[in-house]
Amino acid sequence: MAIETENSNDLSAFNFEKEIERWTEFTNAIMGPELSANHTPRKPIWKKNKATLWHYAPVEKKYEIPIFMIYSLFNTPSILDFAPGSSVIEGLVNNGYDVYLLDWGIARHEDKDINIEDYISDYIQKGVKRTLRHSKADEVSLIGYCLGGTFAAMYAAIAEEPIRNLIVATVPIDFSVSALPDKWEEALKGDGFNVDRLIELYGVIPPSYVESMFRSVTSPIYNSPYVTLLARANDKRFVEKWKRMNKWNSGHVPLTGGAFRQLTIDLFKENKLVKGEFTIHGQKVDLGKIKENLLVVSSKNDTLIPEGQSLPLMDLVSSKDKTYLRVEAGHVSLAMTGKLNGILNDWLGEHSS
Amino acid sequence: MADNKAFDPYETWKSFTNNWEKQANDMIHLWTNSREYVNFSQGASDLQIRFQEMFQKNQQLMAEHLQLLTKNDLVNAAKLSIQTEEKLDALEEQIWDVQDSIESSKKEFRSLIEVSHDTNKQIKQLKKEQQRNKKELEKIDEIHFELLALKSELAEMNTLKEEVVSLRALLEENNSNKERELALLSK
Repeated sequence: MAIETENSNDLSAFNFEKEIERWTEFTNAIMGPELSANHTPRKPIWKKNKATLWHYAPVEKKYEIPIFMIYSLFNTPSILDFAPGSSVIEGLVNNGYDVYLLDWGIARHEDKDINIEDYISDYIQKGVKRTLRHSKADEVSLIGYCLGGTFAAMYAAIAEEPIRNLIVATVPIDFSVSALPDKWEEALKGDGFNVDRLIELYGVIPPSYVESMFRSVTSPIYNSPYVTLLARANDKRFVEKWKRMNKWNSGHVPLTGGAFRQLTIDLFKENKLVKGEFTIHGQKVDLGKIKENLLVVSSKNDTLIPEGQSLPLMDLVSSKDKTYLRVEAGHVSLAMTGKLNGILNDWLGEHSS
Repeated sequence: MADNKAFDPYETWKSFTNNWEKQANDMIHLWTNSREYVNFSQGASDLQIRFQEMFQKNQQLMAEHLQLLTKNDLVNAAKLSIQTEEKLDALEEQIWDVQDSIESSKKEFRSLIEVSHDTNKQIKQLKKEQQRNKKELEKIDEIHFELLALKSELAEMNTLKEEVVSLRALLEENNSNKERELALLSK
């Protein structure tokens, strides 16, 4: 019988082989090949410019109403299909839903004039029409994450297509509330920051600019993930998850100048959506026209979209069936950890039959 | 139970880094949350934009002199392909509309066929009923003729009856005449 002493345990912590393995894993995770994303089987059913409408067929179809998902413009939607076992899309497909995801793709210089109005009327509305046609369904459920949620709400307010449910997670609606330090907010909402000149110069806002914009708001110094990786480099599952997260985190995409202009001026500066002054090709976006069943999900530890940005949507809509959930999660971990999965399965299950 | 967990310097480092990073970020936000910093960053941003604009302008001029394609030329070419794609999309949607209208016409046609089938059935049934009615009418005619014959027979019988009545009256008159004559004779 082997006898382990406290001293022998201490020594095993500094095991030489283990340390070599730790540093090798650490180096591989940072320098090595990237893991493949989007593991759930899918097929493209429509392509427009850089955007693709993906169809994820259900494992065993249980619900007639398909789900149309919209993600933000700032990053890739692969966070919704993060990893086997903790993927929002995989969960929905396993539960018997037809899932359609509108992937914006990567904007190039020729797309610089595309604005939010174009994204809604030319991409989302047409995408929903194609979803209805492809699925042969009479209605559709909309899910929007982050800025995708803002777009989903805007679209739902003007939609001619039949929408049964609207689900928005970590969604910015009321831009009078912000996560920015107050003097930055004051300057950005004032006349000091010349957006037009910046847009004129870049055309499309480079991903590095988008990344530094978010980094400066959330965490200007960002070393802790690397230290965490080193501390847990012997845990293969953690390393895999870290690599996926790191890939997604550094995968910001260019933002079109037109969308950036409307985001900063119409939404951030003038808060037109809440005031009911935002228009889509001349059509007024009145959130009061939203009558669909509504679910709003906020994250308690969201450093990017404070709860105050999402909550006002509850009072602005006319939906009779509306639910607000505040979840113990962060802006990204809500989707990454599978928490959103459980919420969607419970709520959508009740509202899709 | 004694805590046998081994000392892990990485965990300690991690915990220290997390705390330090949070405090440092809070500190950065605190330091930069001032009018002076905002003014400085606006100035720096303006300067950077001015330099980049100048650089872009020079690059454009140079490309024109060397007869090289510029980013804008490529953008124009790409826009043409996007426009073509949009036209194809619009055409596809129009084809959908045509397909839908053909589909609805087919449905209407099918329902028309069903209606005409029903009408045919009804016409056949009406024809049958007509034939039946015709037969019944013929029977009614026969009965009518029989009734007429009966009527004429009855009329004949009536005249016979009248004749019998007149004969009877004559007979009674004769009888009374005879009785009167007999009475006269007996006197």
